[in-house]
Amino acid sequence: MKLALIDWIIIVVYLAGCMAAGIWMRRFVRGVEDFAVAGREMNVNLGIASLAATELGVITVMYAAQAGYQKGFAGATVGVLMALAMFFVGKTGFIIQPLRAAGVMTIPELFEKRFNKKVRWLAGFVVILGGLLNMGIFLKIGGQFLIHVSGVPETHLKWVMTVLLGLILLYTTLGGMLSVLVTDYLQFLVMGLGIVVISVLVILQLGWNGLLLELWTCWDGSRAGTGQTLKSHPFNPFHPTSWGWAFVIWQTLFQLAAVTTWQPNISRVLAAKDAATARQVYMRSAFYFVGRWALPVLWGVGALVYFSRNGGAPEDSINAMPAYLGQLLPIGAIGLVIAAMLAAEMSTDSGYLLTWATVIYNDLIMPCVKRPLSQRQRLFLTRALVLGIGVFLMFWGLWYELPGDAWSYLAVTGNIYLASVFTLLVAGLYWRRARSAGAYAALVLGAVGPVLFLVLNLLVTKGHLPPSLRISAELAGASSFGLAFFGMIVGSLLAEKTPSMETAK
Amino acid sequence: MSNPFVIFWTVMVFTSIAWYAFLLFFIGVKGGKEIKEMTKTLAARPEEEKKS
Repeated sequence: MKLALIDWIIIVVYLAGCMAAGIWMRRFVRGVEDFAVAGREMNVNLGIASLAATELGVITVMYAAQAGYQKGFAGATVGVLMALAMFFVGKTGFIIQPLRAAGVMTIPELFEKRFNKKVRWLAGFVVILGGLLNMGIFLKIGGQFLIHVSGVPETHLKWVMTVLLGLILLYTTLGGMLSVLVTDYLQFLVMGLGIVVISVLVILQLGWNGLLLELWTCWDGSRAGTGQTLKSHPFNPFHPTSWGWAFVIWQTLFQLAAVTTWQPNISRVLAAKDAATARQVYMRSAFYFVGRWALPVLWGVGALVYFSRNGGAPEDSINAMPAYLGQLLPIGAIGLVIAAMLAAEMSTDSGYLLTWATVIYNDLIMPCVKRPLSQRQRLFLTRALVLGIGVFLMFWGLWYELPGDAWSYLAVTGNIYLASVFTLLVAGLYWRRARSAGAYAALVLGAVGPVLFLVLNLLVTKGHLPPSLRISAELAGASSFGLAFFGMIVGSLLAEKTPSMETAK
Repeated sequence: MSNPFVIFWTVMVFTSIAWYAFLLFFIGVKGGKEIKEMTKTLAARPEEEKKS
């Protein structure tokens, strides 16, 4: 155990403050609107804190650092693409402006207005399938980070996950989005401080020029005795050994779809006071997303250089960065970093739990309920869904084995719905000839590539299928966009003779 | 190390650290004020609206 008394004090003070603030917000929850979208009272700076905290979890830090460990600084390319997409959407209001103006609580709700109730339900189902599978590994990866940094034995992973989940569920089920906004704010501050401190310590320990030169020797294999420890060009993302052009093109489209359709992002748009506030949140938080990748990538690069120099790298590349931080950080700083990463994990998990519960409630259950529920029953139902998703996370996190690197898994599971819902949003809002038949085709075809990726690659990993059947992440992801748009266009044109539904808002 | 990619990543890393440090203070102050305003507005809602 590496934690000293001062580390424990920092962690306990952070947790107590966060829990107290989250539980305190419960008093303002009067109905599902307060619970799901904070009564639509969120303003710009609180929105930036909440969006930034939710979208930067331990899982983000872990997969970005893994990318840095495997691909050098070129690993941070995704963050640059995401920042560009955020700025573009904020500047133009593309999708988010009409979406906020529609006054809906979730994206599928808009599809009922534009297409019909069945499209809303099917879209809700696809959103939930992709969203829950995506979130399924958060807890486990978060637990792995905490264990490697703190030195807690690996056998305690289950308990770390359970305690973490219990704390998150407590304030999320009581205060909903209101608690999430306030705890996100606190978590943003603690997490931001931890990220800055770690980054400065990594640069101070290795020296910036030293880091760049040593990274280069890891790539060209010129260091005596170690050989080539990095197989990918450390700076150029377009180099054939790095991400390559196909991945960068897929990610450009993926990030544009993610910032306009990813429900945890969009729930901040829908909780904003108005469309102008939502656009400002996007523009002002855009550059934050460069650091969301670039700084953990820096830590991953630090881990690569450190272990290339000293040996002793963990077998699984995803554990290299936390193992390195465990060596690097002095007493006191470990406590701050653990509090920061707890903050990152809690803000992400609470935001996602609430988001997916709201979609299940709003788009899967409510359209099927014939007798109107009372405000109290609706609130109880939403809270029960948050709890149910928590239980799912626990079991999926323990059972599922990643078929490849964490980022590919997350990108492909997210792609299950990003491609199809993005297609429906673009067509529904900007193409008058879009029809329900096209929407059905887009929803089904958009999910085919990513689901095949998950099933086939799992079977290959388990040895039931030959390795030649493994599908690459960029092929699965890019094909889902192509298929979804193809389905929307062909389906809509074929159905054009049928009476149209409501016109686009 | 005058490769344009090296310069690009150097700028990205250092600007990110500076930006995160700035946001820590800026959002810390402004966000705190917004939480106060939000809770005031929520608490001041008329009873009927609260229950609707």
